[in-house]
Amino acid sequence: MTKPGERIFAMASASDTITTADIPPKALPRERLWYPYLLIAPSMLMLVVVSLVPFLYTIYLSFHAAKFGRVTDFIGFDNYAVLLTDARFWNSIGVAATFVVIAVPIEFMLGLAGALVLNQNVRGRSLLVPLLFMPTMMAPIVVGLLWKIMLAGSWGFFSYNVLERFNLLEGTSVFASPEYALYALIFVDIWQWTPFMMLAFFAGLQALPLGPYRAAAVDGANPVQMFFHITLPMMTPLLAVIGLLRFIDAFKVFDTIYILTGGGPGISTETPSILANKMTFEFWNIGEASALAVLVWLAFFVFCNAFYQIAKKRLNAF
Amino acid sequence: MADAQSRPEGSRGLLWTGVTVVYAAIMLFPIFWMASMMVKPNDAMFARPTQWLFVPTLEHFSYVIEHGFHWYLLTSFLLCTVSTALVVIIGTPAAYAFARFEMRAKDDLFLFILASRMAPPVCLVIPFYLIFAKVGLLDTFLGLTLAYMTFNLSFYIWVLRSFCRDLPVQLEEAAALEGWSKPQIFRRVVFPLLRNGIVATAVLCFIFAWNEFLFAFMLGGRAVQTLPVSIPKLITSQGVRWGEMAVVGMTALLPVLAVVFVLQRHIVRGLTLGAVKG
Repeated sequence: MTKPGERIFAMASASDTITTADIPPKALPRERLWYPYLLIAPSMLMLVVVSLVPFLYTIYLSFHAAKFGRVTDFIGFDNYAVLLTDARFWNSIGVAATFVVIAVPIEFMLGLAGALVLNQNVRGRSLLVPLLFMPTMMAPIVVGLLWKIMLAGSWGFFSYNVLERFNLLEGTSVFASPEYALYALIFVDIWQWTPFMMLAFFAGLQALPLGPYRAAAVDGANPVQMFFHITLPMMTPLLAVIGLLRFIDAFKVFDTIYILTGGGPGISTETPSILANKMTFEFWNIGEASALAVLVWLAFFVFCNAFYQIAKKRLNAF
Repeated sequence: MADAQSRPEGSRGLLWTGVTVVYAAIMLFPIFWMASMMVKPNDAMFARPTQWLFVPTLEHFSYVIEHGFHWYLLTSFLLCTVSTALVVIIGTPAAYAFARFEMRAKDDLFLFILASRMAPPVCLVIPFYLIFAKVGLLDTFLGLTLAYMTFNLSFYIWVLRSFCRDLPVQLEEAAALEGWSKPQIFRRVVFPLLRNGIVATAVLCFIFAWNEFLFAFMLGGRAVQTLPVSIPKLITSQGVRWGEMAVVGMTALLPVLAVVFVLQRHIVRGLTLGAVKG
């Protein structure tokens, strides 16, 4: 006797030959409307507990005087007022903006260039692609460790053989330099995330239809023309989505900065993430930290929504 | 477009292959260097100029074992396995429901899931810390497992939904016409077809949990210490234990190395939350 599953599969392949007009509009009966809600209930309940509740609680905290773990009076927008007049807050915004504005476009360009190279008949991709993915997939804390080693003062491989060789820096680690520490962090981020951009763009290139290229080749278009008139226009939604995703992620970088500089020297590499963490676990100024978290969160909702809308409408992804 | 568009000429393919190999070698050199530091004696490590040849030593390994770092490895492994298993159990039906059924406010629910995934962990760690302290979940395995749900459950639902959408709906329609119940359809038709997607997404969840640092650092305390959290512990008051850090770092890297080879086609889809099919 055949298993019931096989019959279903046979039926389905037979039904492929039927035109869509023959299939009744409601092939999946909807008699049990609660069924999908039942399926999502455990997950949604869990996400309410671990995501919505913490968010609402943060909003609650941001309106209260909360120091050293003790939540006391309702103080309205005072925490926000203190935060928005705090030079350290604006410094952290500046640091994060510098970080993102330099790192992400470089990653983007390098990633696109790398994807185009990878798309040229490169052999052994099944070996190269996974290896290239290593920096992106490894723990950020290990990425930090790696560059702590390479850029250690005096003996670090990169410090000694590159920075000192060209008289860029003597004796100390670049992460101890108030002027250059941020750029060193940007460098690390580029190392870590360029492979992601590259392989995401590469996947996009691989999925492009061949037809337009054949037509262009018949018309005698050269590779540069093909790139600007075919590849780039077709890739635009994908480039936008990946760029936006990376942009969002770059704003919340924490682990690598934490292990490499901890926000220092001074406050020269202190991003909002690092600052919020210090406010909470070093100064125990939870009210102000919550106000900062709420502002960051709101900014994220905006970008998050943009990512969703673009990916859904332009890329038909979701 | 790839292979058909680029010319089959051997020499050009070889040139670009060479470029890629050199690029990969330069990019991966730091990892190789850290690996060599696992067995490098301290005097060779700090030598100026850089010393390439040295007599290997196992002292860093023995320090790491003596100080009980294998327990952190075990903790990491248990925590990641349990939290991933939980994600798969409650997330799979949800992903399927989001892919297949009409629901009220589906778009908003979906955006809420995305927002959970994208929320900066630093923002979450503040309320988690205070709430966990109140309900006694601080420094517990359960607390950390819950905290990992924030980014992993949302990730799992989001990405697995894109795998669900790749399945031909005709199979389910055929099964429904046969009179199969919905749970039957899910178990006998959808689940077998979705298995690869489930494995790929779950493995990515495992890696995200494996790599996670902030929650484990702030909410795990001294009771639940994972491998990433143990790395900063080697920055001691007597100086930084570089060789030992290299050992722990490489240990943390090994599962990732395995995963990039096994999952290569699915990583792009995972990291782009299903926006790009790998």
